[in-house]
Amino acid sequence: MQVEKRYRGRISQIPVCLGKMLRMFFYQNDWKVLPLSAAVAGLVGIVIRHRIFINMEGTLMSGLAVTSVCLWNGCFNSIQAICREREIVKREHRGGMHITSYIMSHMIYQALICAMQTAIILFVFRYIGVRFPEHSIFERNFLIEYFISLFLITYAADMMSLFISTLCRSTTTAMTVMPVVLILQLVFSGGMITLPKILDPLSDYFISNTGFKLIAAEADYNDLELTTAWSAVEQIKNNEISGTVSVGQLADIINNSKSATMQSVKSVQILGNAGETAGLTIGDLVAELSEDNPDAANLRKKEIPYKTSVGDLLEIAGESNVRSYVVKSTSRSAQRAAYDYNAGNVIGYWLKLAAYSLFFAVLAVIFLEFIDKDKR
Amino acid sequence: MDKALQIFTDVYFNSTKPHLVVFSILYIIGQWKMLTKSGVKGFWSLVPCAREYQFARCANRENDGRAASVLDLCTMACVALSYVFKDPYILIFIVVLVISLDIALFMVHIRIYGGIIDVYNAKRSWMILWLFLPTRVIPALVWGYSKAYQPRMKADDIRTALDRILSSENAEVMDTGLTINLKQRAVWDFFHKKPLLQDIHMYIPQGHMVLLLGGSGVGKTTFVNAINGYEKGDAEIILNGRNIYKDYRHMLYECGYVPQQELMRSKDTVYHTLADAALMRLPVDTPPKVRKERIEEVMDILGLTPARNTLVQRMSGGQKKRLSIAMELISNPSLFILDEPDSGLDGVMAKELMEELRHVADTGKIVIVITHTPDRVIDCFDDVIVLAKDSTRTGRLAFYGSVDDARKFFECDKMEQIIKKINTTAEGGEGLADSFIERYPEVKNAG
Repeated sequence: MQVEKRYRGRISQIPVCLGKMLRMFFYQNDWKVLPLSAAVAGLVGIVIRHRIFINMEGTLMSGLAVTSVCLWNGCFNSIQAICREREIVKREHRGGMHITSYIMSHMIYQALICAMQTAIILFVFRYIGVRFPEHSIFERNFLIEYFISLFLITYAADMMSLFISTLCRSTTTAMTVMPVVLILQLVFSGGMITLPKILDPLSDYFISNTGFKLIAAEADYNDLELTTAWSAVEQIKNNEISGTVSVGQLADIINNSKSATMQSVKSVQILGNAGETAGLTIGDLVAELSEDNPDAANLRKKEIPYKTSVGDLLEIAGESNVRSYVVKSTSRSAQRAAYDYNAGNVIGYWLKLAAYSLFFAVLAVIFLEFIDKDKR
Repeated sequence: MDKALQIFTDVYFNSTKPHLVVFSILYIIGQWKMLTKSGVKGFWSLVPCAREYQFARCANRENDGRAASVLDLCTMACVALSYVFKDPYILIFIVVLVISLDIALFMVHIRIYGGIIDVYNAKRSWMILWLFLPTRVIPALVWGYSKAYQPRMKADDIRTALDRILSSENAEVMDTGLTINLKQRAVWDFFHKKPLLQDIHMYIPQGHMVLLLGGSGVGKTTFVNAINGYEKGDAEIILNGRNIYKDYRHMLYECGYVPQQELMRSKDTVYHTLADAALMRLPVDTPPKVRKERIEEVMDILGLTPARNTLVQRMSGGQKKRLSIAMELISNPSLFILDEPDSGLDGVMAKELMEELRHVADTGKIVIVITHTPDRVIDCFDDVIVLAKDSTRTGRLAFYGSVDDARKFFECDKMEQIIKKINTTAEGGEGLADSFIERYPEVKNAG
């Protein structure tokens, strides 16, 4: 009786395919993506180092930049990976190679590359002077958590590009498609461009959107300050303001103000014509001019012309108080539940990115299974 | 903007006017008759999308027909979407898409109508009438119903007389060797079945080296792909008593196929390339020592040992061919098929390569070789298979037998002369394919 020969199955073919890929990493210069990711991280790091994790607007802008770096790295890792050797894959498939083994080995190989790139990015950021927060949802080093987040964004983009690579018949087509995909990812990231209402729900299905939310959550965005409004106020501090104010209004301001400047104004002695003191202070005078005093009603209505600056007004009202009010109220309005730093959000985004990766890998398998149907 | 959008949507999606319906019906009536004249079933004119393709076939413009059908289908899908979505943004997108599709469809139509004008041998000025729907009715009705307008060629699906004449006698199945009983290998090309190969029956004994001859586009590669089960046809292929189609997952290791191009990773070494092939193609329980010995053995057979650590990209054309063959030979297949292994090689190298293949065949393997320069290496072959295109452009068996019998049958000394005889006159040949296809079964039965 003839004994049936057994050949390599799906699992046992993975190390063979992986071995080829690892050899190509060294010999076909696939390692070039590593210094490239260091260069990109360096360029972006210089721009974001004094912005990220410091305030809301800086974190938002930097978050988009970091997401873009991850997307860029992921896309470039694998966009040509399959289309450049499509004919070879076809021959190997014909010779017994399973497409699932081939894609699985790509998944492992690309995961290694993405992990190395993420480590390089974090190293470069740290070296450049990005100050990472101390917090961590798992009570471990924040960097580990941040590594996982950046890795998953990069890996999801990598798997998406791997899928695109299965669709494209040539490297030229793949490289033409890639910028379009990257632009779409950036448009739908939700970081910069406000989308029309009808398109907004679509952004939930983009890696960039999930990645951006994850980066914002990791930075504890909702706990940061929005300083844009206060910065705008500071810029107009020297602007002059002129107009009229009634005696009543002026008296009320002085009366109600608790600022140190105003307190010192209140304690100033009023001198007589001959320079003698009458034991009367400005505080006493404005108290006399209060709303409760019917005798002062006419005097309260009297208009006094004034000429001052925004800075002086802020000083009168108490600059730190005004700053605190402006920053707190604008920050509150900028907070979003999606950017909240909690385990639910972070793990949710991780799972979503992992699901994207798996989804694109499955699609890559399905589409590559039709490789035999390619026209000769 | 809303007003402009309204106008566009009215023009594109709400323009079902009674007179347009009448014109469309008249056009369908004319097109029905035109399709019939060209040998295509008239009812296709009633089928949206498909009618574009069938009409293009009559115009000898199949590719344009495919494009027109797809564009038509997309346009219809867009119109359907416009009824579902009423959001202005989506409508703008759909309108832009429909305009783009219509421009593309118009361009494709120009080519199709140009083709139909050629087929009907009519004047180019008819084109003006063909381009627009109301006026298109006139040529469709006139050409359809007037006996003065007849197509020069037909796009008929009706097979030629060869179908009736040819014997479809199956080759006897043997326990050893390769039995090929291929009734048909066809593809569905849009809306019609296109036979690529028809009625090829033969038995190739073990240890034979067979030359596969045929003009360009006759279906040589399709034939070998059908034999090794890669592109299955309506066939029964038995190799050493086992059905390749039914047991493909195992039999693929018994069939080695060397493609025309050297499909290997250029930055890999010879040894690594072969080691990977051995891992993939040898049984999983092969001990590493045996595997290594097999690699060394194959490198030795094909003269690759001195280049074992050389990168593929640094190898000569001949060495690359050898490596490509070695990758398949490593699994010791019973059937070995090579698609133009000597292309790009000089005479000496080609001869050396064929002699090596001859040695492989002598070990009891069946070696089938496709080559366009057979005469310089003809001594290496036992048999010749000649495939030829019949009048309906289907690949058929024009001959299978020994090299000497082939010379007698085709009445020529050189194999390349056979190609000239069976090629069509348009290809620079003598156009005798049908007569050889017709004669071969008679000669075979008589012999």
